Amino acid sequence: MSNESTNRRPDTGRIVTLVVLTVAAFLWLVPMLWVLAMSLKPNEVLMHTTAGLLPVPFTLDNFIQIFDTAKVTRWFLNSVGVAVLMTSITLVLSSLGGYALARIPFRGARFMLIFIIAGLTVPEQAVFIPLDTMFASWHMNNTIIALVTPRLAVPFGVFLMMQFFKAVPKELEEAAILDNASRLTIFFKVMLPLARPALTTLGIFTFLYSWNDYLWPLVSATQENHYTITTGLASLQGNFAQSEGLGFLMATAVFASAPVLIVYLIFQRYIVRGIAMSSGK
Amino acid sequence: MTDLTLRRVIKRYGDEQVVHGIDLDIREREFVVFVGPSGCGKSTLLRMIAGLEPISGGDVHIGDTRVNDVPAGKRGVAMVFQNYALYPHMTVRENMSFGLRNVNTPKTEIRQRVDEAAAILRIEPLLERRPKDMSGGQRQRVAIGRAIVRKPKVFLFDEPLSNLDAKLRVQMRIELARLHRQLKATMIYVTHDQVEAMTLADRMVVLRDGRIEQSGPPADLYESPCNLFVAGFLGSPSMNFLPATVTDHDADGVWVDLAAGGRLHVPRDGSGLSPGETVTVGLRPEHVRPADEGTLAGSLEVVEHLGDQTLLHIRLGEDSVVIARDEGRSAHTAGENIQLAFSGSTCHLFDGDGNACPILSRDAAIT
Repeated sequence: MSNESTNRRPDTGRIVTLVVLTVAAFLWLVPMLWVLAMSLKPNEVLMHTTAGLLPVPFTLDNFIQIFDTAKVTRWFLNSVGVAVLMTSITLVLSSLGGYALARIPFRGARFMLIFIIAGLTVPEQAVFIPLDTMFASWHMNNTIIALVTPRLAVPFGVFLMMQFFKAVPKELEEAAILDNASRLTIFFKVMLPLARPALTTLGIFTFLYSWNDYLWPLVSATQENHYTITTGLASLQGNFAQSEGLGFLMATAVFASAPVLIVYLIFQRYIVRGIAMSSGK
Repeated sequence: MTDLTLRRVIKRYGDEQVVHGIDLDIREREFVVFVGPSGCGKSTLLRMIAGLEPISGGDVHIGDTRVNDVPAGKRGVAMVFQNYALYPHMTVRENMSFGLRNVNTPKTEIRQRVDEAAAILRIEPLLERRPKDMSGGQRQRVAIGRAIVRKPKVFLFDEPLSNLDAKLRVQMRIELARLHRQLKATMIYVTHDQVEAMTLADRMVVLRDGRIEQSGPPADLYESPCNLFVAGFLGSPSMNFLPATVTDHDADGVWVDLAAGGRLHVPRDGSGLSPGETVTVGLRPEHVRPADEGTLAGSLEVVEHLGDQTLLHIRLGEDSVVIARDEGRSAHTAGENIQLAFSGSTCHLFDGDGNACPILSRDAAIT
């Protein structure tokens, strides 16, 4: 009896933690709610005041205007193209590379692994100028190839997939060998289906990284119709006077964030697992 | 016709040799069990037969074909692994048909062969399930089923029952014996569990440090081990070893003085022994019994009641403990002094190098 009553007693420490976390989460959320509220208010109201987290008076004009503005839709589609292409190719390259390093003994495998991992230590900004010079000399700036190609070398992806394939019991592959499966059959029909959780994690991270990428598109895509949504929005914000007003700007920000938010909500479980995997837990 | 032949088979990892020139003939439909302690090379040998491990030297023939350079999938062998190795993302039916699909077997034939194997193993209700939805025993049945559908020339089992609990292990052991009779197939089975080895094998091959110590029918190996290692390895509890000194030998056997006390006549061929030579007397626990008057005396240290029998651990001296098996529930209790009786005719004798002295036909008695 006494135990039960002890268990039912509210845990003060737990309540304090919950309150602190709730307040912190709300404070973190305020700027986003503010952006959302402004995107749903008319520009005329926003010229008087931007205060308030509730969209009163309410309007969808700013969002409708996005679809009337060809360049925003174009930037959005550019971003979709770059993100989808980059994610797909990264998944193919990382899984092939990871599998080879994990399971196929070949001369120089260890050096290759160190070489790939060393890629993690090179800051991306350090290679922007040579990359830009290279693509410029090939007259390839302002192309989707220039936007995607430099981002396909993903040491983290190869490492993640290698770790995953290493963890798959060797007997599974040996059973497939005895089942007359070729190396490619083993890869595509046994290993790859098993790697779905790791591939999903890597895919989400790559997609989010690509979608949020700003610096390289800023360097590589100099013509307005080749902007991605991040560089496009930045250009609008930089030319606020030429834009369609604050409400429109906020609506484009919400519009640009939507895919990221949707991806996160759908694959939340894999993202949390991926962070745990990459931290070695 | 010999179904599988190993000739001077060697395995090296770098400079280290782990299998030392194995010679073995396995007849068609024979159930051969490789047994030995961990690291003795039994699994490596099995994997070399399967083609999963390259052969460093010697030849492996399956039927009339030398298979050293034949890929694993083309050797006509199927293997059942300790951890089942079922493809987790496939259903049981898909698991069993995977090998057949890889060689473009017609769909109707695949279905027929899977259904047949499922019926043999009584796993029809599991065919649409995935491995994660099954128990260990069911998974092992599926793994065996996957091997059966391929109709291999040789079945290879690598400690297939080790992951199962004791009760299921006994059940599966019986299933495997039944399966061997039913399929009339050649089977090679690796285990470190001597009960599995003794109960399943037509022929047992005892390995140590990459060499065959002895091979033959389980009862022969149990009754006539060729050396101390085989004698100690087979039997649970293991054979008791008593140090002794040869005092004399004649046509009827060898006279020895036991270090723990007592003189014994063992009907073994002692022609290679000379008086004063140190030997080892081997004695199975089932051949030693407590008695009012016996050859050996000691203090009863531990009493293990196993239901139908009792194991008595008797300390004879500083380094010498003898295990005796008493029928039913023994009346003896730990701490009491006890006398042990046994017949010299049930004793084994090993020379100074640990090799067994051959048996003589005539009985002998304790003096």
